[in-house]
Amino acid sequence: MSKLVLTRLGMALLSLLAVSAIIFWCVELLPGDAAERILGRNATPESLALLREKLNLNLSAGERYFDWLRSLLSGDFGVSLVADRPVLDYISGRIANTALLSGFALLLYIPISIALGIITAIYRGKFADHAISVIVLIFMCLPEFVIGILLISIFAIKLAWLPPLALIGQANSFGELLRLIALPTITIVAAMSAYAVRMMRESLIEVLESSYVLMARLKGLPTWRVLLFHALPNALGPAINITALNVAWMIGGVVVVESVFEFPGIGRLMVDSISHKDVPVILAISMVMTGAYIATNLIADVLVILLNPKLR
Amino acid sequence: MTTSARPLVELKNLSVDYHGDRGWSRAVDDVSLEIANGEALGLAGESGSGKTTVAYALMGERRGASRIGGGQVLFKGREIFGLSPSELTALRGRSIGFVPQNPMASLTPSMKVGGQVAEMLRFHQVAVPQGMSSRVVELLDAVGIPNPAAAAQRYPHELSGGQQQRVAIAMALACRPDLVILDEPTTGLDVTTQKLILELLAQLKRETGVSMLYVSHDLASLSQICERVAVMQKGRLLEVADSRTLFEKPQHDYTRRLIASIPRIDAPPADRLEPLPVNARTPLLEVDGLSVSYARSGFFGFRAPPPGSDTVKSVSFNVGRGETFALIGESGSGKSSIARAVAGLTAPRAGTIRFNGEPLPALARHRSLALRQKIQIIFQNPDSSLNPRKTVRSILARPLRMFGKLDSAEREARVIELLKAVRLDPAYADRRPHQLSGGERQRVAIARALAADPELIICDEILSALDVSVQASIIRLLETLQRERGLTYLFISHDLAVVRWFAREIGVLRQGAFCELGDTETTLSAPSSPYTIQLLDAVPRIGAAPVPPASSP
Amino acid sequence: MSTTELAAGSDKARVTRRGIRLSAAGWLGGAIILVYVLVALTGSLWAPYEAAKILTGAPFEGASLAHPFGTDNLGRDVFSRVVLGTRPVLTMTFAATLLAVVAGGLIGVVLGYLRNWVDEVGMRIVDIVISIPTLVLALLIISAVGNSLWLVVVTVAFLFTPRVARVARAATLNVVTNDYISAALARGESTLSICLREILPNITGIMLVEFAIRSAFAIIFIGSLGFLGFGAPPPTPEWGLMINEARANASNSLWPVLAPAAAMAVLVIGINLFADSLSRLIDRQGQNAATEAK
Repeated sequence: MSKLVLTRLGMALLSLLAVSAIIFWCVELLPGDAAERILGRNATPESLALLREKLNLNLSAGERYFDWLRSLLSGDFGVSLVADRPVLDYISGRIANTALLSGFALLLYIPISIALGIITAIYRGKFADHAISVIVLIFMCLPEFVIGILLISIFAIKLAWLPPLALIGQANSFGELLRLIALPTITIVAAMSAYAVRMMRESLIEVLESSYVLMARLKGLPTWRVLLFHALPNALGPAINITALNVAWMIGGVVVVESVFEFPGIGRLMVDSISHKDVPVILAISMVMTGAYIATNLIADVLVILLNPKLR
Repeated sequence: MTTSARPLVELKNLSVDYHGDRGWSRAVDDVSLEIANGEALGLAGESGSGKTTVAYALMGERRGASRIGGGQVLFKGREIFGLSPSELTALRGRSIGFVPQNPMASLTPSMKVGGQVAEMLRFHQVAVPQGMSSRVVELLDAVGIPNPAAAAQRYPHELSGGQQQRVAIAMALACRPDLVILDEPTTGLDVTTQKLILELLAQLKRETGVSMLYVSHDLASLSQICERVAVMQKGRLLEVADSRTLFEKPQHDYTRRLIASIPRIDAPPADRLEPLPVNARTPLLEVDGLSVSYARSGFFGFRAPPPGSDTVKSVSFNVGRGETFALIGESGSGKSSIARAVAGLTAPRAGTIRFNGEPLPALARHRSLALRQKIQIIFQNPDSSLNPRKTVRSILARPLRMFGKLDSAEREARVIELLKAVRLDPAYADRRPHQLSGGERQRVAIARALAADPELIICDEILSALDVSVQASIIRLLETLQRERGLTYLFISHDLAVVRWFAREIGVLRQGAFCELGDTETTLSAPSSPYTIQLLDAVPRIGAAPVPPASSP
Repeated sequence: MSTTELAAGSDKARVTRRGIRLSAAGWLGGAIILVYVLVALTGSLWAPYEAAKILTGAPFEGASLAHPFGTDNLGRDVFSRVVLGTRPVLTMTFAATLLAVVAGGLIGVVLGYLRNWVDEVGMRIVDIVISIPTLVLALLIISAVGNSLWLVVVTVAFLFTPRVARVARAATLNVVTNDYISAALARGESTLSICLREILPNITGIMLVEFAIRSAFAIIFIGSLGFLGFGAPPPTPEWGLMINEARANASNSLWPVLAPAAAMAVLVIGINLFADSLSRLIDRQGQNAATEAK
């Protein structure tokens, strides 16, 4: 079993490496010379040459890549071209904010999707299933930004219960923080849960209709025992995979939600950095996001291996 | 047999309907049966007979979209479908035990085997003075599981098929029920394991006096364990009689046909064709030192497999022209690997194959068109051997196109000819595989093989997925074709009884090597290897008394 | 006739007629898609105003006969913009999805058929590309090369191809384990022949469903890109872009936000209903084929 886990770990690290190369290459394609961009109209040939030297732009792309990789590994993410601060410093606050948002969203999403998935699976074909499935379908077909804008229109503008923008930097208390973060969290949860409920329902139904659950019932075991000890443990594996898929989606989807609510997280910073061509920040955020995605998949894979007696 | 006591189980005019795409259809039609205390009733029938539906109805279980169309199911006088859910739950396991068809799928993969047995004791409040784990070990021991204490800590996938089924039997009997329902409990097990399970069941019945409803398509097994046997066809109950009477004096035509179709190891079938004269020329197929291995090692499987991991270990045999050579073995014996190697689907690790005296390249794509044409293969599973998207005509036309030089009119004529040759209505040419029955699909597969006009046909367990009556007709067809076209067969099977009168030569494979090789007649009447004797012994013989239990394996 | 032949006489199957049987929801979904396609094709003929024409009425007018969906901040008719936006949206969506399904399908089938080291390496590459969050990569590429309709199409196609390849490969693996493939191999059929004649016809059902599902994803994704300003260039009446433009003034009038959002949502719902029903039909066909003749 540990061999399996180590192989997964190795593959994850390899993927990270490959991704770093791909992203670096993509960013390389961004038009315009970084030095020109920074100095703008004040550029003189001498200042340009000096800045280029400072930014190592005279080296080849390959050399710059390894340079960057080396500094990454020693924890140095470079300096932001826009803010002229060390990147790590610059983005760590944002990372924390996004982590907060994601954390809240996950906390809400897990019980909601599991509960709804179980209900629709057990009562499949009946009214509860149809009703929930219709609502879920509608949410699944609305893009996150539409859900966000709708929520703002209803709860922030019409009803004025919650603030329309999530400028959490201005929060003075935890209560206020919660109010500010509520709408973006609900938006993410709504979008994620929709997919999860449908997928959970399918995998739960597969388990519920399996031969071994039938056997457990024919053994005369009480329903709770059948569900809890025969059905659920075998549905956990797929449930974990589904959650991993949704978390992966969320890592990308958070960009849109943060833009809608002007939430000070790394998603919005990403969009801004791309507009300003702030290369070091773009690279850093891409690596952080991809790293988070790969880590999530790795954890999910390992959990599935641990849970499945056949793989242990 | 009991006399005045009320029967344990009474089915009175039971009818069950299924809801399919085309509305409601009757799966069980007005069936009335009784099982007395301590009696074993066999329920025989082929696929679609409704016997499984009856078995589940006895447990109060309606499968899929079905409803009770009429009648009653009484257990100890109580109507099963009138019970409340909690009453039904109390009844199941405690008073009625169930042994499923496929133990691998029916044991919960995430729970240890001992735990699954203990559940029965715990949730039916069975008193266990000696402690739960000891009792579980006792139960596992009673069903003949070696090393029961260790086995209890294992997960289902770590046990063999036979052991899994023993666990299922232990679970079914744990609460000492009045009745045990067995749904084809030995299908899918090796024939030697089958015999051991049957012996176990007979022993347990003797020791505990439990009643049984034994559902199976295998009449011979039923005759060994059950006092009475009922025969069903298409939802109807045709006849019930005690075993001996049923087999000696069947009342119904269908029963008579069914009994006649059962291949007997001890006597040739009534309509057996005359054996062909021996052909002494060069053998058609010469296999020499063939070894096949599936193990892959090294990065991406590039390195050669380690020695000792061979599935087929240096096997040699010859097949004469116009003859039938049977390759017999249980699962894992390597028989299919040999078939696939000869067909060019698997490259052997070592050894040579000669066809008509000339060496045969390992893989089909390296063989000449002529060679590919002369060697054809038919597969086991009729559900997967025909492309579901093609019509029968197009399936048969493909080999005609590849191997023949006919124009489209001639091809069409050939297709009709082929269908007739396998006794299928030419109108079938426009059908798709899902519109054919299992036996009909196998006939199309045979026609596809014939379309190439081959000399050698490899039959890889082609009968195993078919009903018994269909098996007999397919064998008859093969024999006729052999005589008409001078075909040679390499016939793979696990069923000795089937090949006894069909194959001239036989090779018995065990774990990749022959333990017996030679003329069928002499080999089987005087086998030299103990494994062959074991196989012969395991063939269920009709009317034989239940075999006394062998000592624990 | 021997007794064995007689017994086999009972082994005959019934012939059944097969029609396309979608559920009611499936037909509804199909109808919705059809309506949108018609609007995309004919919209420019009957839309009351041109997409870029400003000040057709006062800004932020509410719904009226002249402006069924009101006007936006520049006085443009929202209804016309929504209708005229159907063409670029559908074109981008279906073009991108078609490219992805064809490319991904080919890759998936080849990898699933070969199942050797090429497959292992190929799947690793697929996994690596999938591990980059789609939105991030799309933003990078588009900002690198510029906003153009066809660039968005190619980028989205590139991002979806590996995901389609996974599905195609899984479907191929299911098909390849069947004996009729072995029969073809034993005949010595070429790889191309097997892929085209035996494998492809048996995965078209699944690929059709995949096409529908990916289309739904594509609409939302392209809408998100438009919303962030990385989609088709303004003044293209692309719905995501329209929502972005209207967002700042949502307190003045909700029509410029709601109309394109609803247009997007209804289309996606229609596609999902259709895809659901189609996939259930295909599942059932597979089951029926196996159990029908028992």
